[in-house]
Amino acid sequence: MMERLAKLESLSQRWLYLATILLLMVPFLVRIPMPPRGQAVMAAKGVYDTIEACPPDKVVMIDSSWDMGSRAENRAQLECVVRHLCRRRIRFVVTSMVTPFAPDFAARVIEPIAKKAGYVYGRDWVNTGFIQVGGNIGAIIDGMCKDFHKIRPTDWKGVPASKLPLLQKVRTINDIHMVYCITYSPAEQWISFVKGQYDTPVAFGCMSIMGPWYYTYLDSGQLCGMLLGNRGAAEYEALLGHPSTGTRLIGVASFGNCIIIAAAFLGNLGAWAARRARRKA
Amino acid sequence: MRRYVITAITFVGGLFYLLEFVLPGHAPQPASQPAGVATRPVAAGTQPATQPAAPAKRPAADKPNSKDRQNVLTPWLPDVAKFLLIVGTMAFLLGPINLVRGHLKTLIRGGEGWAGSVAFMAFLVMGLTAASFKTKDDAAAKTAKPPQVTSRPASGPASAPASAPTSAPVAAKAPPKPGTVFDVLYDALIFGVSTAFFASSMALLAFYLVSAAHRAFRLNTVESGLMMAAAVIVLLGQVPVGDWLTYRLPEFLQLRAWAQWTLMFPNAGVQRAVLIGASGGAIAAAVRHWLSLGRRSE
Repeated sequence: MMERLAKLESLSQRWLYLATILLLMVPFLVRIPMPPRGQAVMAAKGVYDTIEACPPDKVVMIDSSWDMGSRAENRAQLECVVRHLCRRRIRFVVTSMVTPFAPDFAARVIEPIAKKAGYVYGRDWVNTGFIQVGGNIGAIIDGMCKDFHKIRPTDWKGVPASKLPLLQKVRTINDIHMVYCITYSPAEQWISFVKGQYDTPVAFGCMSIMGPWYYTYLDSGQLCGMLLGNRGAAEYEALLGHPSTGTRLIGVASFGNCIIIAAAFLGNLGAWAARRARRKA
Repeated sequence: MRRYVITAITFVGGLFYLLEFVLPGHAPQPASQPAGVATRPVAAGTQPATQPAAPAKRPAADKPNSKDRQNVLTPWLPDVAKFLLIVGTMAFLLGPINLVRGHLKTLIRGGEGWAGSVAFMAFLVMGLTAASFKTKDDAAAKTAKPPQVTSRPASGPASAPASAPTSAPVAAKAPPKPGTVFDVLYDALIFGVSTAFFASSMALLAFYLVSAAHRAFRLNTVESGLMMAAAVIVLLGQVPVGDWLTYRLPEFLQLRAWAQWTLMFPNAGVQRAVLIGASGGAIAAAVRHWLSLGRRSE
């Protein structure tokens, strides 16, 4: 018995990989409803409550700086917040930094939702496109807070701000109720400048793996909220009462996390059995 | 000479931001809102979208970091940021230029890895061509009139899109045109090839994690036991499986609550300690850069 268990320690990686593929395929092939139970955690509720509190004369700024690399988690985080904004009839401006592909990915998510909600581009929402910040992200954010048009005089298609009524309204940080930054690892300069200098609420949407780092800012109140991976998106969708991409993908994450725990358990079981077998011998 | 120019620009730039931040400011005259801009998209049939913009309530500049604080340097801040934007864009070109030089050398000399260089050059040319000549939406966007916000209610509820005609400034409302070959190529490269490549490379992490968990995560000591316990709690507490396992228990015994506690307290404490330590180093590095005290490049 111990000898058989001991073989688990040196189990070929091929079997682990095969098991991983098969188990991760299950939630894609069979739809398993796995909505998060219980109340949403403070992080997701914070984003929701801040958007709910948006006054009528303000807009929400979304920094959608993700592309194909982090689409698996960031897409659902953008989708649920845009759906909430459209439901509350709040106008929003989208910017993108970090990656030049981000405006395309953001538009692909936002356009169908905005169209369904009857939002008109230019009047109710604007995609200002990619801003090449390089290493000067703090200075660029500060410049945007002081004079948005200096940094972004056009939208992503080159339409001047004078043709876009919403951009005429958004001139400084005074016109913005909240900044929501979605990317693999949101820039902390949003906190330093937008929250620190201007006291405008900042929320992040980040990959699950980056979450532990940003909990510091959540605990200190520097972030009004955070959507952590697909879990955050799924909780947000539960708050909206509209299960969608996040709820579907969190089921896949469930399987993935369980495989990791099972692999660690099997490895330790094999190591324990091998030790026992060596002692007996 | 070059060194002194770089040193001077670096010093002046740093001094500008330092002084802009520390100099006392005053509240400027409130700027008037542009007329004719609705304050919020409203539901169809309830009220017109042309309600005058509500005057923004501006807090007094009674604290040093108030939104309205302005000193003599503040008006220059967006211009300096724009200058940095231009410099950053120029720097953005350095990467591709260096890559092209390196791969061209490999191709000309026929050295090892020439196939990779061919692939790089092919994708670079395709990407540049597709992005430069893609036309979908762009032309229509630049020639379109701004939306007529005075002529119609803004929009309907989510279930009933507005039916009144509206001239949107971009092709979102323009009749759809068939894309050119460059549009198809752009979509294929970005949303097809690149997405598949990136998704594949990120998906490999799942296999590495499973393999590492099996081979390296051993319960040999008390510390490794604590780490394992924290990992299991957070892994299960972050997904619905954890909710399903413990949702019948009292709130404080649920895995979700334990995961939140682990992230909010022990984790945040450690991260904060790391952050404070790293920030001290960052300040020292910033001062060295600002005063050009680092190693000379010449």
